[in-house]
Amino acid sequence: MSGMDWDLLPESALHRAVDLTVRLVEFGGAAVIFIGAVWAFVQFLLLGVRRRRPRNARPIAGFNRIRLSLGRFLALGLEFQLAGDVLRTAIAPSFDQIGQLAAIAAIRTGLNFFLGREIEAERREVERLSAHDRGGATAPAP
Amino acid sequence: MTALLGQAALWVAAFGLISAVCAAIHLRQVQPVVALLADFLLAAGLIRLAGEPSWDSLALAASTGAVRLLLGAALRHRASGIGARRGGGGGGGSG
Repeated sequence: MSGMDWDLLPESALHRAVDLTVRLVEFGGAAVIFIGAVWAFVQFLLLGVRRRRPRNARPIAGFNRIRLSLGRFLALGLEFQLAGDVLRTAIAPSFDQIGQLAAIAAIRTGLNFFLGREIEAERREVERLSAHDRGGATAPAP
Repeated sequence: MTALLGQAALWVAAFGLISAVCAAIHLRQVQPVVALLADFLLAAGLIRLAGEPSWDSLALAASTGAVRLLLGAALRHRASGIGARRGGGGGGGSG
């Protein structure tokens, strides 16, 4: 087998496949973030156009709900991009690239963590406000 | 693809500016609007980071994220202080 000029899985093919997958996954993450931004933009435009609202509704409640959804889209897109980072570690050939990869992964992981905490805090705020409004509209809150 | 992502990031930043103006007109408060603008700018940075990763775009995304976190924490701290002073009534105060 000395003249073996073919491999079962050539490294270049692996590189190409992983590269393509990484591009697809990262593009998917960017698309999720973009769609979330467009959706939030449309919602905010509607919020600005709609002048009349129910008597008891607070403007901040609707605003918080839209921001919460935007934060969820951001977190989902970040997860996609982290998946791309993990895939990319399969074919990182130089220390420079590994350093960049580590920095990107650290940034995205940190952002994801803080975003998750923020989403949780905002969700609790939205629930507290809606419970408060419900209690104020029908009966005194317990 | 990098050019496409750069365009998308620009659009998201523009969307953020317009949304912030709408929200400011609607809410007449400063703090939530600033937080919202920082959210949109972070989204733009993340989209740009998905393209060709370079140390420049990395530093940009990291600093945007750090500024955004600081702003969010500071504004929430201030808003909760105002809310506590008002007897826990409102979620935020006018700036």
